[in-house]
Amino acid sequence: MSTGSSTTQVATLARREILRFIRRPYNTFLPPIVTNTLYFSVFGIILGSRIGSVAGVSYIQFVLPGLVVLGAISDAFENASFSVFHGRWEDYIDEVTTAPMTHRGMVGAYVFASAVRGLLTAVLIVGVGLVFTAAPVTHPFHLVGFLVVTVVLFAGLGVVGGLAATDFDNLTVMNQFILRPLVFFGAVFYSLDVLPPLWRNISLLNPMVYMVDGVRYGMIGVTEIDPNISLAVLTGAALAVLAINLVLFRRGFGLTK
Amino acid sequence: MSTPAIEVRDLRKSYDDVIALDDLNLHIPAGSFFGLLGPNGAGKTTFIETLVGLVRADAGSAAVFGHDVETEYRAARDAVGLAPQEFNVDRFFPIHEVLAHKAGYHGYGREKARERATQALEQVGLLQKRDQRFSALSGGMKRRVVLARALVTDPDLLILDEPTAGVDVQLRRELWDTVTALNESGTTILLTTHYIEEAERLCDEVAIMNRGRVVETATPEALMRRGTDRITVTLRDPPATAPAVEAGGDRVRSVKMDDDRLVVVATEGGLVAPDLVRELDRRGFEFVDLDVSRTSLEEVFVELTDSGNGDLGDDADTATDSGRREPRTAETPATDGGR
Ligand SMILES: Nc1ncnc2c1ncn2[C@@H]1O[C@H](COP(=O)(O)OP(=O)(O)OP(=O)(O)O)[C@@H](O)[C@H]1O
Ligand SMILES: [Mg+2]
Repeated sequence: MSTGSSTTQVATLARREILRFIRRPYNTFLPPIVTNTLYFSVFGIILGSRIGSVAGVSYIQFVLPGLVVLGAISDAFENASFSVFHGRWEDYIDEVTTAPMTHRGMVGAYVFASAVRGLLTAVLIVGVGLVFTAAPVTHPFHLVGFLVVTVVLFAGLGVVGGLAATDFDNLTVMNQFILRPLVFFGAVFYSLDVLPPLWRNISLLNPMVYMVDGVRYGMIGVTEIDPNISLAVLTGAALAVLAINLVLFRRGFGLTK
Repeated sequence: MSTPAIEVRDLRKSYDDVIALDDLNLHIPAGSFFGLLGPNGAGKTTFIETLVGLVRADAGSAAVFGHDVETEYRAARDAVGLAPQEFNVDRFFPIHEVLAHKAGYHGYGREKARERATQALEQVGLLQKRDQRFSALSGGMKRRVVLARALVTDPDLLILDEPTAGVDVQLRRELWDTVTALNESGTTILLTTHYIEEAERLCDEVAIMNRGRVVETATPEALMRRGTDRITVTLRDPPATAPAVEAGGDRVRSVKMDDDRLVVVATEGGLVAPDLVRELDRRGFEFVDLDVSRTSLEEVFVELTDSGNGDLGDDADTATDSGRREPRTAETPATDGGR
Protein backbone atom coordinates (compact mmCIF):
# COMPACT_ATOMS: atom_id res chain seq x y z
CA MET A 1 0.00 0.00 0.00
CA SER A 2 1.30 3.46 -0.72
CA THR A 3 1.55 6.20 1.84
CA GLY A 4 -0.54 8.29 -0.49
CA SER A 5 0.17 11.83 -1.42
CA SER A 6 1.21 14.19 1.33
CA THR A 7 -0.41 17.08 -0.48
CA THR A 8 -3.72 15.23 -0.63
CA GLN A 9 -3.59 14.52 3.08
CA VAL A 10 -2.89 18.11 4.05
CA ALA A 11 -5.39 19.47 1.51
CA THR A 12 -8.09 17.21 2.95
CA LEU A 13 -7.50 18.46 6.47
CA ALA A 14 -7.35 22.09 5.37
CA ARG A 15 -10.57 21.60 3.42
CA ARG A 16 -12.31 19.97 6.36
CA GLU A 17 -11.23 22.83 8.61
CA ILE A 18 -12.42 25.49 6.20
CA LEU A 19 -15.74 23.75 5.49
CA ARG A 20 -16.37 23.55 9.20
CA PHE A 21 -16.70 27.30 9.51
CA ILE A 22 -17.99 28.07 6.00
CA ARG A 23 -20.99 25.83 6.58
CA ARG A 24 -21.94 27.71 9.71
CA PRO A 25 -22.27 31.23 8.32
CA TYR A 26 -24.36 32.48 11.23
CA ASN A 27 -21.54 31.63 13.58
CA THR A 28 -18.75 32.63 11.28
CA PHE A 29 -19.76 35.67 9.34
CA LEU A 30 -22.63 37.29 11.16
CA PRO A 31 -20.83 38.18 14.42
CA PRO A 32 -18.04 40.27 12.87
CA ILE A 33 -20.59 42.10 10.71
CA VAL A 34 -22.79 42.95 13.68
CA THR A 35 -19.95 43.81 16.05
CA ASN A 36 -18.19 46.04 13.58
CA THR A 37 -21.35 47.81 12.55
CA LEU A 38 -21.69 48.71 16.22
CA TYR A 39 -18.04 49.80 16.48
CA PHE A 40 -18.29 51.98 13.42
CA SER A 41 -21.52 53.55 14.61
CA VAL A 42 -20.17 54.40 18.04
CA PHE A 43 -16.52 55.15 17.42
CA GLY A 44 -16.84 56.42 13.93
CA ILE A 45 -20.01 58.38 13.82
CA ILE A 46 -21.02 59.26 17.37
CA LEU A 47 -17.58 59.78 18.93
CA GLY A 48 -15.75 60.47 15.70
CA SER A 49 -17.61 63.64 14.96
CA ARG A 50 -16.42 65.04 18.31
CA ILE A 51 -12.84 63.81 18.05
CA GLY A 52 -12.17 65.29 14.65
CA SER A 53 -9.00 64.10 12.94
CA VAL A 54 -6.28 61.84 14.34
CA ALA A 55 -2.86 61.55 12.72
CA GLY A 56 -4.17 63.62 9.86
CA VAL A 57 -7.21 61.48 8.94
CA SER A 58 -10.77 61.35 10.17
CA TYR A 59 -11.22 59.26 13.31
CA ILE A 60 -13.35 56.66 11.56
CA GLN A 61 -10.63 56.13 8.97
CA PHE A 62 -8.05 55.93 11.71
CA VAL A 63 -10.04 53.27 13.57
CA LEU A 64 -10.85 51.12 10.52
CA PRO A 65 -7.44 49.38 10.21
CA GLY A 66 -7.43 48.71 13.94
CA LEU A 67 -10.83 47.08 13.78
CA VAL A 68 -9.72 44.98 10.82
CA VAL A 69 -6.77 43.66 12.80
CA LEU A 70 -8.84 43.18 15.93
CA GLY A 71 -11.44 41.09 14.08
CA ALA A 72 -8.91 39.13 12.07
CA ILE A 73 -6.75 38.05 15.00
CA SER A 74 -9.70 37.27 17.25
CA ASP A 75 -11.23 34.99 14.65
CA ALA A 76 -7.95 33.36 13.62
CA PHE A 77 -7.15 32.62 17.26
CA GLU A 78 -10.65 31.56 18.19
CA ASN A 79 -11.02 29.29 15.18
CA ALA A 80 -7.73 27.46 15.72
CA SER A 81 -8.09 27.08 19.46
CA PHE A 82 -11.71 25.97 19.24
CA SER A 83 -11.14 23.51 16.43
CA VAL A 84 -8.15 21.85 18.04
CA PHE A 85 -9.65 21.83 21.49
CA HIS A 86 -13.08 20.59 20.40
CA GLY A 87 -11.39 17.81 18.43
CA ARG A 88 -9.49 16.82 21.55
CA TRP A 89 -12.52 17.15 23.79
CA GLU A 90 -14.63 14.90 21.56
CA ASP A 91 -11.56 12.80 20.65
CA TYR A 92 -12.21 13.06 16.93
CA ILE A 93 -8.86 14.75 16.42
CA ASP A 94 -7.73 11.12 16.56
CA GLU A 95 -8.98 10.81 12.99
CA VAL A 96 -6.16 13.15 12.06
CA THR A 97 -3.49 12.15 14.54
CA THR A 98 -3.76 8.44 13.71
CA ALA A 99 -3.36 9.19 9.99
CA PRO A 100 -0.03 8.74 8.22
CA MET A 101 0.35 12.51 7.88
CA THR A 102 3.48 14.50 8.63
CA HIS A 103 3.35 16.72 11.71
CA ARG A 104 4.32 19.62 9.51
CA GLY A 105 1.29 18.88 7.36
CA MET A 106 -1.05 18.80 10.35
CA VAL A 107 0.22 22.12 11.70
CA GLY A 108 0.15 23.62 8.22
CA ALA A 109 -3.47 22.65 7.64
CA TYR A 110 -4.78 23.86 10.99
CA VAL A 111 -2.92 27.16 10.78
CA PHE A 112 -3.79 27.73 7.14
CA ALA A 113 -7.52 27.21 7.66
CA SER A 114 -7.65 29.52 10.67
CA ALA A 115 -5.58 32.13 8.88
CA VAL A 116 -8.07 31.98 6.01
CA ARG A 117 -10.86 32.58 8.47
CA GLY A 118 -9.01 35.60 9.87
CA LEU A 119 -8.53 37.01 6.39
CA LEU A 120 -12.19 36.49 5.51
CA THR A 121 -13.13 38.39 8.63
CA ALA A 122 -10.73 41.18 7.63
CA VAL A 123 -12.43 41.44 4.25
CA LEU A 124 -15.86 41.51 5.88
CA ILE A 125 -14.85 44.30 8.21
CA VAL A 126 -13.47 46.36 5.36
CA GLY A 127 -16.80 45.72 3.65
CA VAL A 128 -18.71 47.01 6.66
CA GLY A 129 -16.28 49.95 6.87
CA LEU A 130 -17.07 50.89 3.28
CA VAL A 131 -20.65 51.55 4.32
CA PHE A 132 -19.41 54.24 6.71
CA THR A 133 -16.31 55.63 5.08
CA ALA A 134 -13.74 55.11 2.34
CA ALA A 135 -11.22 52.26 2.65
CA PRO A 136 -8.13 53.38 0.82
CA VAL A 137 -5.22 51.08 0.00
CA THR A 138 -2.04 53.13 -0.11
CA HIS A 139 0.54 50.34 0.24
CA PRO A 140 -1.03 47.09 -0.97
CA PHE A 141 2.08 44.97 -0.42
CA HIS A 142 2.35 46.05 3.20
CA LEU A 143 -1.37 45.69 3.75
CA VAL A 144 -1.44 42.10 2.52
CA GLY A 145 1.89 41.26 4.16
CA PHE A 146 0.84 42.54 7.58
CA LEU A 147 -2.55 40.88 7.43
CA VAL A 148 -1.15 37.50 6.39
CA VAL A 149 1.62 37.48 8.95
CA THR A 150 -0.78 38.62 11.66
CA VAL A 151 -3.42 35.97 11.04
CA VAL A 152 -0.77 33.24 10.77
CA LEU A 153 0.74 34.34 14.06
CA PHE A 154 -2.60 34.26 15.86
CA ALA A 155 -3.75 31.06 14.20
CA GLY A 156 -0.51 29.50 15.45
CA LEU A 157 -1.11 30.88 18.94
CA GLY A 158 -4.64 29.48 18.73
CA VAL A 159 -3.24 26.02 18.01
CA VAL A 160 -1.05 26.29 21.10
CA GLY A 161 -4.10 27.37 23.10
CA GLY A 162 -6.18 24.51 21.73
CA LEU A 163 -3.50 22.00 22.66
CA ALA A 164 -2.86 23.44 26.10
CA ALA A 165 -6.48 23.91 27.17
CA THR A 166 -7.94 21.32 29.50
CA ASP A 167 -11.39 22.82 29.59
CA PHE A 168 -13.60 25.11 27.50
CA ASP A 169 -13.19 27.71 30.26
CA ASN A 170 -9.47 27.86 29.50
CA LEU A 171 -10.29 29.16 26.04
CA THR A 172 -12.48 31.90 27.49
CA VAL A 173 -9.72 32.82 29.92
CA MET A 174 -7.14 33.07 27.15
CA ASN A 175 -9.46 35.32 25.24
CA GLN A 176 -10.35 37.54 28.22
CA PHE A 177 -6.98 37.88 29.88
CA ILE A 178 -4.52 37.70 27.02
CA LEU A 179 -6.20 38.74 23.80
CA ARG A 180 -8.46 41.53 25.08
CA PRO A 181 -5.78 43.54 26.96
CA LEU A 182 -3.40 43.27 24.02
CA VAL A 183 -6.12 44.52 21.76
CA PHE A 184 -7.30 47.38 23.91
CA PHE A 185 -3.80 48.65 24.53
CA GLY A 186 -2.83 47.97 20.95
CA ALA A 187 -3.45 51.42 19.54
CA VAL A 188 -6.64 50.36 17.83
CA PHE A 189 -8.63 53.25 19.20
CA TYR A 190 -5.96 55.88 19.80
CA SER A 191 -2.70 57.13 18.37
CA LEU A 192 0.54 56.37 20.24
CA ASP A 193 1.30 60.06 20.05
CA VAL A 194 -1.33 60.83 22.64
CA LEU A 195 0.51 58.73 25.24
CA PRO A 196 3.17 60.03 27.64
CA PRO A 197 6.66 58.74 26.67
CA LEU A 198 6.73 56.00 29.35
CA TRP A 199 3.42 54.50 28.24
CA ARG A 200 4.37 54.89 24.65
CA ASN A 201 7.50 52.79 25.25
CA ILE A 202 5.59 50.18 27.19
CA SER A 203 3.07 50.01 24.37
CA LEU A 204 5.87 49.19 21.97
CA LEU A 205 6.24 45.83 23.74
CA ASN A 206 2.77 44.91 22.57
CA PRO A 207 2.83 43.03 19.24
CA MET A 208 -0.66 44.32 18.48
CA VAL A 209 0.75 47.81 18.13
CA TYR A 210 2.93 46.75 15.22
CA MET A 211 0.15 44.91 13.48
CA VAL A 212 -2.29 47.75 13.77
CA ASP A 213 0.31 50.27 12.77
CA GLY A 214 1.38 48.18 9.80
CA VAL A 215 -2.14 47.66 8.49
CA ARG A 216 -2.86 51.34 9.02
CA TYR A 217 0.20 52.11 6.96
CA GLY A 218 -0.99 49.77 4.24
CA MET A 219 -4.42 51.40 4.16
CA ILE A 220 -4.11 55.09 4.91
CA GLY A 221 -0.36 55.49 4.64
CA VAL A 222 -0.01 56.74 8.21
CA THR A 223 2.57 55.12 10.44
CA GLU A 224 4.30 55.68 13.75
CA ILE A 225 6.84 52.85 13.45
CA ASP A 226 9.02 51.81 10.50
CA PRO A 227 6.71 49.31 8.74
CA ASN A 228 9.52 47.17 7.35
CA ILE A 229 10.96 46.59 10.79
CA SER A 230 7.50 45.78 12.15
CA LEU A 231 6.90 43.32 9.35
CA ALA A 232 10.24 41.62 9.92
CA VAL A 233 9.63 41.30 13.67
CA LEU A 234 6.12 39.94 13.19
CA THR A 235 7.31 37.46 10.57
CA GLY A 236 9.94 36.26 13.03
CA ALA A 237 7.29 35.89 15.72
CA ALA A 238 4.99 33.95 13.37
CA LEU A 239 7.78 31.57 12.38
CA ALA A 240 8.69 31.05 16.01
CA VAL A 241 5.10 30.15 16.87
CA LEU A 242 4.88 27.75 13.92
CA ALA A 243 8.07 26.08 15.15
CA ILE A 244 6.49 25.72 18.60
CA ASN A 245 3.39 24.19 17.00
CA LEU A 246 5.56 21.67 15.22
CA VAL A 247 7.42 20.69 18.36
CA LEU A 248 4.13 20.28 20.24
CA PHE A 249 2.66 18.06 17.51
CA ARG A 250 5.84 15.99 17.34
CA ARG A 251 5.77 15.46 21.07
CA GLY A 252 2.08 14.71 20.97
CA PHE A 253 1.47 17.47 23.53
CA GLY A 254 -2.20 17.31 24.49
CA LEU A 255 -2.71 14.70 21.79
CA THR A 256 -1.28 11.51 23.23
CA LYS A 257 -1.69 9.71 26.52
CA MET B 1 8.21 -16.54 7.25
CA SER B 2 6.72 -13.23 6.26
CA THR B 3 6.96 -10.06 8.35
CA PRO B 4 4.58 -10.28 11.30
CA ALA B 5 1.60 -7.93 11.34
CA ILE B 6 2.47 -6.89 14.88
CA GLU B 7 5.67 -7.45 16.80
CA VAL B 8 5.85 -6.07 20.31
CA ARG B 9 8.81 -6.25 22.65
CA ASP B 10 8.86 -5.35 26.33
CA LEU B 11 6.31 -2.59 25.91
CA ARG B 12 5.77 -0.56 29.07
CA LYS B 13 3.32 2.16 29.93
CA SER B 14 2.25 3.57 33.26
CA TYR B 15 -0.20 6.24 34.25
CA ASP B 16 0.78 7.68 37.61
CA ASP B 17 0.57 4.63 39.84
CA VAL B 18 -1.15 2.30 37.35
CA ILE B 19 1.02 0.02 35.24
CA ALA B 20 -1.09 -0.39 32.11
CA LEU B 21 1.49 -2.31 30.08
CA ASP B 22 4.03 -4.34 31.99
CA ASP B 23 6.70 -5.57 29.58
CA LEU B 24 4.18 -6.73 27.03
CA ASN B 25 5.44 -9.13 24.39
CA LEU B 26 3.29 -10.19 21.49
CA HIS B 27 3.73 -11.61 18.03
CA ILE B 28 0.81 -11.54 15.61
CA PRO B 29 1.42 -13.25 12.27
CA ALA B 30 0.34 -11.55 9.06
CA GLY B 31 -2.97 -12.84 7.81
CA SER B 32 -4.16 -14.17 11.14
CA PHE B 33 -7.41 -13.55 12.95
CA PHE B 34 -6.07 -12.79 16.37
CA GLY B 35 -8.11 -12.39 19.53
CA LEU B 36 -7.04 -10.36 22.54
CA LEU B 37 -8.92 -11.24 25.69
CA GLY B 38 -8.62 -10.01 29.20
CA PRO B 39 -10.58 -8.50 32.06
CA ASN B 40 -11.41 -4.78 32.28
CA GLY B 41 -8.26 -2.78 32.74
CA ALA B 42 -5.95 -5.52 31.46
CA GLY B 43 -4.32 -3.05 29.08
CA LYS B 44 -5.85 -4.13 25.76
CA THR B 45 -6.92 -0.67 24.63
CA THR B 46 -3.70 0.88 25.86
CA PHE B 47 -1.73 -1.61 23.79
CA ILE B 48 -3.83 -0.98 20.68
CA GLU B 49 -3.47 2.77 21.06
CA THR B 50 0.33 2.56 21.11
CA LEU B 51 0.15 1.15 17.59
CA VAL B 52 -1.47 4.26 16.13
CA GLY B 53 0.28 6.84 18.29
CA LEU B 54 -2.58 7.70 20.63
CA VAL B 55 -0.51 6.34 23.50
CA ARG B 56 3.24 6.82 23.78
CA ALA B 57 4.90 3.87 25.43
CA ASP B 58 7.47 4.55 28.14
CA ALA B 59 9.78 1.79 26.95
CA GLY B 60 9.98 -1.14 24.58
CA SER B 61 9.12 -1.27 20.91
CA ALA B 62 6.20 -2.06 18.66
CA ALA B 63 6.20 -2.56 14.92
CA VAL B 64 3.40 -2.95 12.40
CA PHE B 65 4.43 -4.97 9.35
CA GLY B 66 8.03 -4.29 10.30
CA HIS B 67 7.56 -0.51 10.67
CA ASP B 68 8.35 0.90 14.07
CA VAL B 69 5.31 2.78 15.36
CA GLU B 70 7.39 5.79 16.41
CA THR B 71 10.28 6.13 13.99
CA GLU B 72 8.30 4.94 10.95
CA TYR B 73 4.91 6.03 12.14
CA ARG B 74 3.65 6.98 8.71
CA ALA B 75 4.19 3.57 7.20
CA ALA B 76 2.85 1.89 10.34
CA ARG B 77 -0.32 4.00 10.49
CA ASP B 78 -0.86 3.61 6.79
CA ALA B 79 -1.41 -0.10 7.34
CA VAL B 80 -3.82 0.19 10.27
CA GLY B 81 -7.58 0.64 10.34
CA LEU B 82 -8.81 1.03 13.90
CA ALA B 83 -12.38 0.77 15.13
CA PRO B 84 -11.88 2.04 18.68
CA GLN B 85 -13.77 1.08 21.80
CA GLU B 86 -14.81 4.66 22.57
CA PHE B 87 -16.49 6.69 19.84
CA ASN B 88 -14.35 9.46 18.41
CA VAL B 89 -16.14 10.61 15.31
CA ASP B 90 -16.21 14.10 13.83
CA ARG B 91 -19.51 15.71 14.89
CA PHE B 92 -19.55 18.49 12.35
CA PHE B 93 -20.03 16.48 9.19
CA PRO B 94 -22.44 13.86 7.86
CA ILE B 95 -20.95 10.39 8.17
CA HIS B 96 -20.28 10.05 4.47
CA GLU B 97 -18.06 13.10 4.59
CA VAL B 98 -16.40 11.97 7.80
CA LEU B 99 -15.36 8.78 6.06
CA ALA B 100 -14.22 10.60 2.93
CA HIS B 101 -12.10 12.90 5.10
CA LYS B 102 -10.54 9.92 6.83
CA ALA B 103 -9.67 8.40 3.46
CA GLY B 104 -8.22 11.76 2.43
CA TYR B 105 -6.06 11.94 5.54
CA HIS B 106 -4.62 8.64 4.38
CA GLY B 107 -3.84 10.01 0.95
CA TYR B 108 -6.83 9.15 -1.20
CA GLY B 109 -7.73 11.89 -3.66
CA ARG B 110 -11.18 13.49 -3.37
CA GLU B 111 -13.05 11.39 -5.90
CA LYS B 112 -11.47 8.15 -4.79
CA ALA B 113 -12.06 9.05 -1.15
CA ARG B 114 -15.77 9.55 -1.81
CA GLU B 115 -16.00 6.27 -3.64
CA ARG B 116 -14.32 4.49 -0.77
CA ALA B 117 -16.65 6.18 1.73
CA THR B 118 -19.69 5.01 -0.20
CA GLN B 119 -18.26 1.52 -0.45
CA ALA B 120 -17.45 1.34 3.26
CA LEU B 121 -20.93 2.51 4.24
CA GLU B 122 -22.40 -0.08 1.94
CA GLN B 123 -20.24 -2.76 3.49
CA VAL B 124 -21.73 -2.05 6.91
CA GLY B 125 -25.25 -1.50 5.58
CA LEU B 126 -25.47 2.21 6.40
CA LEU B 127 -25.66 3.74 2.97
CA GLN B 128 -29.16 5.10 3.52
CA LYS B 129 -27.84 7.06 6.52
CA ARG B 130 -25.00 8.64 4.61
CA ASP B 131 -26.22 12.21 5.07
CA GLN B 132 -26.87 11.88 8.80
CA ARG B 133 -24.54 13.12 11.44
CA PHE B 134 -23.00 10.67 13.84
CA SER B 135 -25.01 11.97 16.81
CA ALA B 136 -28.28 11.18 15.02
CA LEU B 137 -27.54 7.46 14.82
CA SER B 138 -28.43 4.64 17.18
CA GLY B 139 -25.75 2.95 19.28
CA GLY B 140 -25.46 -0.03 16.95
CA MET B 141 -25.27 2.22 13.91
CA LYS B 142 -22.51 4.19 15.58
CA ARG B 143 -20.57 0.96 15.99
CA ARG B 144 -21.01 0.35 12.30
CA VAL B 145 -19.77 3.82 11.44
CA VAL B 146 -16.51 3.29 13.31
CA LEU B 147 -16.10 -0.04 11.56
CA ALA B 148 -16.71 1.62 8.19
CA ARG B 149 -14.23 4.32 9.08
CA ALA B 150 -11.63 1.66 9.82
CA LEU B 151 -12.36 -0.01 6.48
CA VAL B 152 -12.36 3.15 4.40
CA THR B 153 -8.55 3.26 4.21
CA ASP B 154 -8.33 -0.35 3.00
CA PRO B 155 -6.11 -1.43 5.89
CA ASP B 156 -3.83 -4.47 5.90
CA LEU B 157 -4.35 -4.67 9.64
CA LEU B 158 -7.87 -4.16 10.94
CA ILE B 159 -8.08 -3.59 14.69
CA LEU B 160 -11.46 -3.96 16.34
CA ASP B 161 -11.58 -2.92 19.98
CA GLU B 162 -14.78 -4.48 21.33
CA PRO B 163 -16.72 -4.05 18.09
CA THR B 164 -19.77 -5.97 19.28
CA ALA B 165 -20.36 -4.27 22.62
CA GLY B 166 -24.01 -3.15 22.62
CA VAL B 167 -24.70 -4.62 19.22
CA ASP B 168 -27.78 -6.76 18.54
CA VAL B 169 -27.53 -10.41 17.55
CA GLN B 170 -28.24 -9.93 13.89
CA LEU B 171 -25.79 -7.11 13.44
CA ARG B 172 -23.18 -9.06 15.36
CA ARG B 173 -23.52 -11.89 12.88
CA GLU B 174 -23.31 -9.55 9.93
CA LEU B 175 -20.23 -8.03 11.43
CA TRP B 176 -18.70 -11.45 11.91
CA ASP B 177 -19.37 -12.28 8.27
CA THR B 178 -17.84 -9.02 7.12
CA VAL B 179 -14.63 -9.43 9.09
CA THR B 180 -14.34 -13.13 8.29
CA ALA B 181 -14.55 -12.31 4.59
CA LEU B 182 -11.91 -9.61 5.01
CA ASN B 183 -9.65 -12.03 6.84
CA GLU B 184 -10.09 -14.60 4.10
CA SER B 185 -9.07 -12.01 1.54
CA GLY B 186 -5.83 -11.44 3.42
CA THR B 187 -6.50 -8.71 5.99
CA THR B 188 -4.97 -9.36 9.39
CA ILE B 189 -7.55 -8.89 12.13
CA LEU B 190 -6.91 -8.05 15.76
CA LEU B 191 -10.06 -8.32 17.83
CA THR B 192 -10.62 -7.59 21.49
CA THR B 193 -13.81 -8.82 23.00
CA HIS B 194 -15.46 -9.84 26.23
CA TYR B 195 -17.68 -12.30 24.37
CA ILE B 196 -15.59 -15.39 24.71
CA GLU B 197 -17.58 -17.36 22.20
CA GLU B 198 -16.91 -14.66 19.69
CA ALA B 199 -13.19 -15.25 20.03
CA GLU B 200 -13.75 -18.99 19.97
CA ARG B 201 -15.77 -18.79 16.80
CA LEU B 202 -13.66 -16.29 14.86
CA CYS B 203 -10.06 -16.36 15.98
CA ASP B 204 -7.31 -18.70 14.96
CA GLU B 205 -5.19 -17.60 17.87
CA VAL B 206 -5.94 -15.80 21.10
CA ALA B 207 -3.78 -14.06 23.66
CA ILE B 208 -5.05 -13.61 27.16
CA MET B 209 -3.92 -10.43 28.84
CA ASN B 210 -3.98 -9.61 32.48
CA ARG B 211 -2.46 -6.65 34.28
CA GLY B 212 -0.50 -5.44 31.32
CA ARG B 213 1.00 -8.78 30.35
CA VAL B 214 0.16 -11.64 28.06
CA VAL B 215 -0.45 -14.62 30.31
CA GLU B 216 -1.17 -17.12 27.55
CA THR B 217 -1.23 -17.42 23.79
CA ALA B 218 -2.83 -20.42 22.11
CA THR B 219 -5.47 -21.52 19.66
CA PRO B 220 -8.98 -21.41 21.11
CA GLU B 221 -9.19 -25.21 20.72
CA ALA B 222 -6.01 -25.81 22.68
CA LEU B 223 -7.25 -23.60 25.47
CA MET B 224 -10.61 -25.28 25.50
CA ARG B 225 -9.14 -28.72 25.84
CA ARG B 226 -7.76 -27.61 29.17
CA GLY B 227 -11.11 -26.41 30.38
CA THR B 228 -14.25 -28.15 31.44
CA ASP B 229 -17.68 -28.44 29.89
CA ARG B 230 -20.95 -28.63 31.72
CA ILE B 231 -23.53 -31.28 30.98
CA THR B 232 -26.94 -30.55 32.46
CA VAL B 233 -29.57 -33.30 32.46
CA THR B 234 -33.06 -32.39 33.66
CA LEU B 235 -34.67 -35.45 35.24
CA ARG B 236 -38.35 -36.28 35.65
CA ASP B 237 -37.94 -37.84 39.10
CA PRO B 238 -34.78 -36.31 40.45
CA PRO B 239 -33.06 -38.12 43.30
CA ALA B 240 -32.24 -36.19 46.47
CA THR B 241 -28.53 -36.63 46.01
CA ALA B 242 -26.51 -36.95 42.85
CA PRO B 243 -26.08 -40.56 41.70
CA ALA B 244 -22.54 -41.88 41.29
CA VAL B 245 -21.68 -41.65 37.61
CA GLU B 246 -19.29 -44.01 35.88
CA ALA B 247 -19.48 -42.59 32.37
CA GLY B 248 -16.60 -40.40 31.31
CA GLY B 249 -14.16 -41.88 33.78
CA ASP B 250 -11.28 -39.50 34.47
CA ARG B 251 -12.81 -36.74 32.41
CA VAL B 252 -15.53 -36.08 35.00
CA ARG B 253 -14.65 -33.41 37.51
CA SER B 254 -17.83 -33.11 39.51
CA VAL B 255 -21.37 -34.41 39.70
CA LYS B 256 -24.04 -32.41 41.49
CA MET B 257 -27.79 -32.02 41.78
CA ASP B 258 -29.22 -28.59 41.24
CA ASP B 259 -33.00 -28.77 41.84
CA ASP B 260 -34.24 -31.27 39.26
CA ARG B 261 -31.07 -31.04 37.22
CA LEU B 262 -28.06 -33.27 37.31
CA VAL B 263 -24.96 -31.22 36.53
CA VAL B 264 -21.83 -33.00 35.39
CA VAL B 265 -18.68 -30.99 34.87
CA ALA B 266 -16.16 -32.73 32.64
CA THR B 267 -13.39 -32.09 30.16
CA GLU B 268 -14.38 -32.73 26.56
CA GLY B 269 -18.03 -32.90 27.56
CA GLY B 270 -19.05 -33.71 24.00
CA LEU B 271 -17.47 -37.13 24.41
CA VAL B 272 -18.82 -37.74 27.91
CA ALA B 273 -22.45 -36.84 27.21
CA PRO B 274 -23.46 -39.90 25.11
CA ASP B 275 -22.04 -42.32 27.68
CA LEU B 276 -23.69 -40.41 30.46
CA VAL B 277 -27.07 -40.52 28.72
CA ARG B 278 -26.75 -44.29 28.12
CA GLU B 279 -25.79 -44.89 31.72
CA LEU B 280 -28.66 -42.86 33.13
CA ASP B 281 -31.08 -44.55 30.76
CA ARG B 282 -29.84 -47.96 31.81
CA ARG B 283 -30.38 -47.02 35.44
CA GLY B 284 -33.97 -46.04 34.74
CA PHE B 285 -33.81 -42.25 34.92
CA GLU B 286 -36.20 -40.48 32.64
CA PHE B 287 -35.02 -37.17 31.25
CA VAL B 288 -36.81 -34.07 30.19
CA ASP B 289 -33.91 -32.09 28.76
CA LEU B 290 -30.22 -32.36 28.01
CA ASP B 291 -27.80 -29.48 27.59
CA VAL B 292 -24.06 -29.41 27.01
CA SER B 293 -22.60 -25.98 27.49
CA ARG B 294 -19.15 -25.51 26.15
CA THR B 295 -18.14 -22.49 28.11
CA SER B 296 -14.77 -23.92 28.74
CA LEU B 297 -12.75 -21.17 27.14
CA GLU B 298 -14.36 -18.82 29.54
CA GLU B 299 -13.39 -20.96 32.47
CA VAL B 300 -9.83 -21.21 31.26
CA PHE B 301 -9.90 -17.49 30.87
CA VAL B 302 -11.14 -16.96 34.39
CA GLU B 303 -8.55 -19.36 35.74
CA LEU B 304 -5.75 -17.59 33.90
CA THR B 305 -6.76 -14.11 34.90
CA ASP B 306 -8.27 -14.72 38.29
CA SER B 307 -5.28 -15.48 40.50
CA GLY B 308 -4.45 -12.59 42.73
CA ASN B 309 -7.07 -10.45 41.08
CA GLY B 310 -9.03 -9.52 44.17
CA ASP B 311 -10.90 -6.68 42.54
CA LEU B 312 -12.21 -8.94 39.82
CA GLY B 313 -13.05 -11.85 42.06
CA ASP B 314 -16.78 -11.25 42.09
CA ASP B 315 -16.92 -11.47 38.38
CA ALA B 316 -15.08 -14.72 38.29
CA ASP B 317 -17.16 -16.48 40.96
CA THR B 318 -20.42 -16.50 39.09
CA ALA B 319 -18.85 -18.21 36.15
CA THR B 320 -17.61 -21.34 37.82
CA ASP B 321 -19.90 -22.98 40.25
CA SER B 322 -23.48 -21.76 40.27
CA GLY B 323 -25.88 -24.19 38.71
CA ARG B 324 -27.12 -21.92 36.00
CA ARG B 325 -25.08 -19.26 34.36
CA GLU B 326 -26.57 -15.99 33.40
CA PRO B 327 -24.60 -13.53 31.35
CA ARG B 328 -22.64 -11.85 34.05
CA THR B 329 -23.20 -8.18 33.47
CA ALA B 330 -24.26 -6.08 30.59
CA GLU B 331 -20.63 -5.37 29.76
CA THR B 332 -19.31 -8.87 30.12
CA PRO B 333 -21.90 -11.32 28.91
CA ALA B 334 -19.63 -14.26 28.43
CA THR B 335 -21.89 -17.05 27.30
CA ASP B 336 -24.35 -15.74 24.77
CA GLY B 337 -21.96 -14.99 21.97
CA GLY B 338 -22.93 -17.70 19.54
CA ARG B 339 -26.51 -18.54 20.33
N1 LIG C 1 -5.72 8.03 30.11
C1 LIG C 1 -5.53 7.27 31.19
N2 LIG C 1 -5.14 7.82 32.37
C2 LIG C 1 -4.92 7.06 33.45
N3 LIG C 1 -5.05 5.73 33.48
C3 LIG C 1 -5.43 5.11 32.36
C4 LIG C 1 -5.69 5.84 31.15
N4 LIG C 1 -6.04 4.98 30.19
C5 LIG C 1 -6.03 3.75 30.75
N5 LIG C 1 -5.64 3.83 32.05
C6 LIG C 1 -5.50 2.70 32.97
O1 LIG C 1 -4.71 1.71 32.34
C7 LIG C 1 -5.20 0.42 32.64
C8 LIG C 1 -5.47 -0.32 31.34
O2 LIG C 1 -6.59 0.26 30.70
P1 LIG C 1 -7.11 -0.22 29.28
O3 LIG C 1 -8.12 0.74 28.83
O4 LIG C 1 -5.95 -0.46 28.39
O5 LIG C 1 -7.79 -1.63 29.64
P2 LIG C 1 -8.63 -2.61 28.72
O6 LIG C 1 -7.96 -3.93 28.78
O7 LIG C 1 -8.86 -2.01 27.39
O8 LIG C 1 -9.98 -2.69 29.54
P3 LIG C 1 -11.52 -2.82 29.02
O9 LIG C 1 -11.75 -4.27 28.80
O10 LIG C 1 -12.27 -2.31 30.18
O11 LIG C 1 -11.67 -1.99 27.81
C9 LIG C 1 -6.43 0.62 33.52
O12 LIG C 1 -6.03 0.44 34.85
C10 LIG C 1 -6.82 2.04 33.27
O13 LIG C 1 -7.41 2.60 34.40
MG1 LIG D 1 -10.46 -1.44 26.35
